[in-house]
Amino acid sequence: MDIVSRNNVTVTGPHDAPVLLLAHGFGCDQNMWRLVAPALAGDHRVVRFDYVGSGKSDLAAWSESRYSTLDGYARDVVEICEALDLRDVRFVGHSVSAMIGVLAAAAAPDRFHSLIMVGPSPHYIDTPGYRGGFSAEDIDELLESLESNYLGWSATMAPVIMGNPDRPELGEELTNSFCATDPAIARVFARTTFLSDSRDHLTTVKLPTLVLECSQDVIAPREVGAYVHAAIPDSRLVTLDATGHCPQLSAPEATVAAITDFLGSRS
Amino acid sequence: MSPLTTTVQNTGTGPLLRIAGELDYSTAPELRELVTGLPLEPGQRLVLDLAHLGFCDSSGITAFIVARNHALAHDADITLLAAPGPVLRVLRVTGLDQVFSLAPGQDTRTERAADG
Amino acid sequence: MTCRTGPGPDLPEGRRTAHTDAAFTALLEDSAEELYESAPCGYLSTLMDGTVAKINTTLLNWLGLTRDDVVGRLRFTDLLTVGGRIYHDTHFAPLLRMQGGVNGIALDIRQADGGRLPVLISSVTKTDHDGRPLLIRTTVFDASDRRAYEQELLRERQVAEEARRRAEEDRQRLQEALAVLQSSLLPAQLPQVPGMEAASHYHTASPDRLGGDFYDLFPLDDRRWAFFLGDVCGKGPQAAAVTSLTRYTLRAAALHNPDPVAALTTLNTVLHERYATGDPRYCTAVFGVLEPEGDTVTVELASGGHPPALVLRQDGHTEYLPTPGGLLVGIMPSAPFTSARTVLGAGDTLLLYTDGLTEARTGEKRELFGDEALLDFATALTDTAPRQVVTAMTGLLNSFGDGLDDDTALLALGVPMTDPTPASDT
Repeated sequence: MDIVSRNNVTVTGPHDAPVLLLAHGFGCDQNMWRLVAPALAGDHRVVRFDYVGSGKSDLAAWSESRYSTLDGYARDVVEICEALDLRDVRFVGHSVSAMIGVLAAAAAPDRFHSLIMVGPSPHYIDTPGYRGGFSAEDIDELLESLESNYLGWSATMAPVIMGNPDRPELGEELTNSFCATDPAIARVFARTTFLSDSRDHLTTVKLPTLVLECSQDVIAPREVGAYVHAAIPDSRLVTLDATGHCPQLSAPEATVAAITDFLGSRS
Repeated sequence: MSPLTTTVQNTGTGPLLRIAGELDYSTAPELRELVTGLPLEPGQRLVLDLAHLGFCDSSGITAFIVARNHALAHDADITLLAAPGPVLRVLRVTGLDQVFSLAPGQDTRTERAADG
Repeated sequence: MTCRTGPGPDLPEGRRTAHTDAAFTALLEDSAEELYESAPCGYLSTLMDGTVAKINTTLLNWLGLTRDDVVGRLRFTDLLTVGGRIYHDTHFAPLLRMQGGVNGIALDIRQADGGRLPVLISSVTKTDHDGRPLLIRTTVFDASDRRAYEQELLRERQVAEEARRRAEEDRQRLQEALAVLQSSLLPAQLPQVPGMEAASHYHTASPDRLGGDFYDLFPLDDRRWAFFLGDVCGKGPQAAAVTSLTRYTLRAAALHNPDPVAALTTLNTVLHERYATGDPRYCTAVFGVLEPEGDTVTVELASGGHPPALVLRQDGHTEYLPTPGGLLVGIMPSAPFTSARTVLGAGDTLLLYTDGLTEARTGEKRELFGDEALLDFATALTDTAPRQVVTAMTGLLNSFGDGLDDDTALLALGVPMTDPTPASDT
């Protein structure tokens, strides 16, 4: 299968520049990077993609068995690297993608140069001695709210969301299409994300790592950022003065600055 | 789904049932139902006019047997009229040409030697 | 809707509008402020970090909070449940940033008394001249009834899904049962006949329906073998029952008296007795006995209404073994069966088949394949060994495509060319 179309891979920036691979997290798709990608593409080859099941990826390639573990998503990353023969990848993972990046780097260590984690969390549920931020009931409630909000996704429209050339009259400007996906798939992604536990993988990370967090992030609270920073040997922690979970949208300039600064110091 | 057309005409001697089209697994039940509903008096003769029957397989044969049973049950006779070549062939192979009374059609068209 | 409180309809248009406005304004106790505060929906304005800057009375009442509790103190997400907060941060907020507005998101707001109110939320971002976002304006609609309806729909959908899943399982089980049943009607494997070769093939037109064709090959004693092949009328479970009865009746009859005509006569009696009234059930059949005599095998067979067997000689000559006059088995209390005899030498093969083969429809005009075409096809075969004949016939059947809509069975019995290497396959 053609990986580039399967994962809706888009590439911008100079051909021979260092590769920045931007990986979205649970929720939306590569459009999350739209406010930072142009700036980063000035002197980086910026590769964006949608995980199978999200955005404009090929939904036919989705299977519950594969995408019920973070390893399934990590395979998407590795397959993309192989398809484009990406080397010395600076991997930017938002939210759960930070952990997906850890798994991908462990699977294909030769391809990765460094890791940039935006709002990472290795484990979301509180356990004795660990504050993840949520209880199991909280996660159940999230799954319920996914059922109620299709965000305009519908089985008949999905081909259009994927850019079906047979129906050009419907155009691309579907409301909410950036965050719309098959609710069954979203549910699996949510379960996989919020029930995952990647804490043990952190200590195996050998790559230089940037942990970029927001000062007020319910999903990745300060304690978690501190935990991740402490667990990864060669890591730097930067806290942005921002609210919410998506600084690449709420504070794009600060995000670009933090990333560029880190990359500059680590090239 | 091949179409089957049937028309019933009441002659002095009994019902004349014209069957046109194709008799196969899907259309035979229709014929069976029709035939078993035809009123017959003792001594009458049920005639099945097969001149325009284009195709007939074993379900069609079964339908003829059902028609025969119906006639016998009412003390009536049965004749197969103007069976086309291929149908005659099937009747011959199955030995039913000895069981049914067969009559040639008036039109010489029906006496074609199809593959006999 | 116009409200006629003033002068009647005979006033000119302009005067009437002015009058209505005045009456309307007089009725209005509210200012824009009151419209805002007492709207039938909740209004909320927040800074970009979510801090509530303004909130209307309706929403405060729904929350069970005072203005002082909220403005400048709480963020919008504090009003949501935890799951809603996650949803807001992963979907709602990004959409708002990317699109500038979001419409009709279903969430729950937490009430001070611990309750929850299902709501629909729409937000729009106010930007400055340069397009930079300044604040967020949000409208909140009470969606209690709608949510209850949605839950109902969701539940019904789950029930339907479950029913569909169970129906699919049932269908699978039925398919498996049919397959098992079908395979019990035919020998799993042809036995090895000393000094002969045998091959067979069964082609089902539809895997969902039990076919009516049957065949068998079995020893009579330490020298002779019996075989039969036939076609029960109809398809489905009733036909399968007749097939089963036919198969075991012929086997039993043969062991008692292997004369082919006698065997078919017994079968005729059994079927006629059983199915005399009601739905006619009959079959066509060929029954035969193989008797090896030195280098040759004598075949004696009888046919009841079945297409004639085909003999393929080693020298390329082919002919039918006619059995005219044999009647379908089972429809008459006593029935005539015609017998025939032939001797198979080295390289000769006897082919039995059901009428699915000759009645297949070929060509653009969908004409019946027919006896002559079958004879020509067989004559053209260079290798007359049973396995090769069956393979060639199978290829012919496959070439009919959907012109072949009936089941077809093939049984080929032959004397090998060289030293007899007993081989048989299905």
